[in-house]
Amino acid sequence: MLWFARGLLRRVVTTRYPRRTDAWAAALPSPPAFDSARLTPELAARLVARCPNGSLAIDGGALVLDLGGCTGCGRCVAEGDGAVRPSGVFELASSERIGLVKRIPIKGARK
Amino acid sequence: MSAGELEGAAASLLAGGGRFADLFGTTDGDELTLRLVFALDGEGRYVVVEAPVRGTEYADLSKAVPAAFLEQCELFERHGVRPPGTPLNRVLMPPHAKPGAGWSEAAVAADGRTREPHHVRGEAFEFPFGPVRVAGWETLYMGLVTTGEEVLDLYLFYWHKHRGVERRLIGLEPERALFFVERLEGLSAVANGLAFCRAVETAAGIPVNEEAACSRAVAIELERIYNHAAAIAALCQTTGLSVGQAQAEIALERLLRLNLAAFGHRYLFGSLALGGVCRAPDDEAIRRELPAACDELRRVVAALLATNSHVDRLEACGIVDGETARRLSLVGPVARASGCDIDTRRDHPFPPYDNVVPVVPVRATGDAYARMQVFVGEIDESQRIVEELLGHCGEGRCVTEAGPSAALGWAESPRGETLAWVELDESGLIREARLRPAAVRNWRAFDDAARARNVFTDIPIIEASFWQTVAGFAR
Repeated sequence: MLWFARGLLRRVVTTRYPRRTDAWAAALPSPPAFDSARLTPELAARLVARCPNGSLAIDGGALVLDLGGCTGCGRCVAEGDGAVRPSGVFELASSERIGLVKRIPIKGARK
Repeated sequence: MSAGELEGAAASLLAGGGRFADLFGTTDGDELTLRLVFALDGEGRYVVVEAPVRGTEYADLSKAVPAAFLEQCELFERHGVRPPGTPLNRVLMPPHAKPGAGWSEAAVAADGRTREPHHVRGEAFEFPFGPVRVAGWETLYMGLVTTGEEVLDLYLFYWHKHRGVERRLIGLEPERALFFVERLEGLSAVANGLAFCRAVETAAGIPVNEEAACSRAVAIELERIYNHAAAIAALCQTTGLSVGQAQAEIALERLLRLNLAAFGHRYLFGSLALGGVCRAPDDEAIRRELPAACDELRRVVAALLATNSHVDRLEACGIVDGETARRLSLVGPVARASGCDIDTRRDHPFPPYDNVVPVVPVRATGDAYARMQVFVGEIDESQRIVEELLGHCGEGRCVTEAGPSAALGWAESPRGETLAWVELDESGLIREARLRPAAVRNWRAFDDAARARNVFTDIPIIEASFWQTVAGFAR
C-alpha cells in the first residue's frame, strides 16, 4: 500500500497512452453505430431479438445500447440492412456506468 | 439396453479396441437416460449406448473404464444418480450450490460427504495453491501435498469457474446457442463451435458445401497454430527464459493479428455459422503472413531446443506413460506425446479432412519435452493444411426447419477431441446439450503427471505443457 501511495505521489510514468491507434486495429470488432434515420420500429425489434447478450433494448421511442454488455459480435450489423455498421470506436471508458448506455431515437416511434 | 447392462457393454467396447469418450445423462420429464460414448478409432465411427435409469443407482462403470469416474461424479451432481457404495469427488458443484439450479437435491444434501477424505500424515503437509495464481491464467485451486519439495499428491478444484453454459443453451435457437458455445472455452472457440455445429447439422439435416467446409478447416488449423505458439511461450515463461517467451509471444501476436485479418476476430469468434461460415477467410492475408509468423516461431523453437537450461527442465518432467494415457482415455497432444496415435481429423474424418489427411506426430516418452515436440510437429502440419486449402475456401450458410432429433458432433481442437451432443425439440430449439471439450479428458491425468517424481517448481512447466483450460473443464 505504501508503494502504491508513493507511486501516485511521485507520478512516475511507466507507459504513455498511445498517441495513435495501430493500423491493424482498424479491423477489430467494435460496438455498433446506428443510422437513426433508417432505424424503424420493426428493425429495432429484430435487432433486439438478435443480440445474444441482451445489450439492446427498446425503451419508449429509443433503441438502448448498453456498451457494458456488447461484445462486438456483429450480429446486429448483419441484421441491420445497412442501418447498422461497426463504429470502429474502442475508447469507451466512462467514469460513470450511465456513460456506457446509448439511446438511439427510432424513426417514427411513439415516445 | 438397461442401466444394468451398461457395465458389460463398456467392458466389451473397451476389449474390442474402443476408446471411452464420454458419459452423460439427459432427461425427458422425470426419465433419465444415460449415454455412454465410445470412439472406434479403427473403424472411423462413434458408438452411443443409451440406457434409461430407474431409481437412483446404476452399475459402477469406472471399474471397467477408470476414465469414467469423473463423469460419474458429474452425473451425481447433476442428476442425483450414483453407483452404490462408490466414493465420489466433487467436480463441478460449487459449495454454495442450491437444488434446482442445475444441481440435484441428493448432491446438495450430501455435500461434504461425497468427497473421499484426504489424509495427510507424517512429514507431509498440504499446501493450498490458488485459485488465483501467479503462473497460470485461469481460476484453479491446487491442493499440493508435499514434504517441502517433492510433490506427493495433488488434487484440483475446478468449480470456481463453472458457468452452467450447457444449461444456458436449453430453449435457445441453435444459431443463438452457437454464440455461447464459442465462448465456452475462448481458446477453442472454433473447435467447440464446429463440434456443436456438426451435431446440429447432423440432427437437422443441414448440408455444408465444400468451400465452407474448407473455410472451417482453415479456421480450426489457425486456432491450433496460435494455441501451440502460446503453449511454447508459456513453457519459456515457466523455465525462466524471458527472452524466449518474448520472442514466442511476438510470433503469437502476429498469428492473432492474422486471425483478425483472415476471419475478423483475434480469437476467431464468429467465424462459424450453421451450415457453413459467416465469412470466407482472406486468402491473401494468410498467404502473406502465415509463413512469416510460422518461420519466426520455428526460429524461436530452434533456439529453445539448443538451450540446455530449457530442455533439461522439460525432459523427464511430468511423465504420463502410454498405459495411463490409454486408461484415462486422454486425447490430443497429451495423448500423442505418450504414444497414443489418435487424431479425430484422421480417424473420424469429415470434409475436407477426408482429402487433406493430416500426418499425426507421435512421441513415446510422455514428458513435457515430448509434448513440446508434438506442438512443434503440429504447427508444421497445420500450416501445410492451411496452405493446401487456400484457394478452395468460400462462404455458405444454411438454415432449415428441424423437428425433434439428436446427434453427436466432433472436432479436433488444439487440446484434442472435442464432442457435442445436441437434442432438438419439435420447434427446432435445443432441448438438451452436452459439450465435452478435450480439457475434460486431459485434466484427469494432470495429477498423475505432477506426482511422477516431480518437485514443486515443475508444476507450472507441466501445466504449460498440458496447455489445458479450466473453462473447458468447468463449462
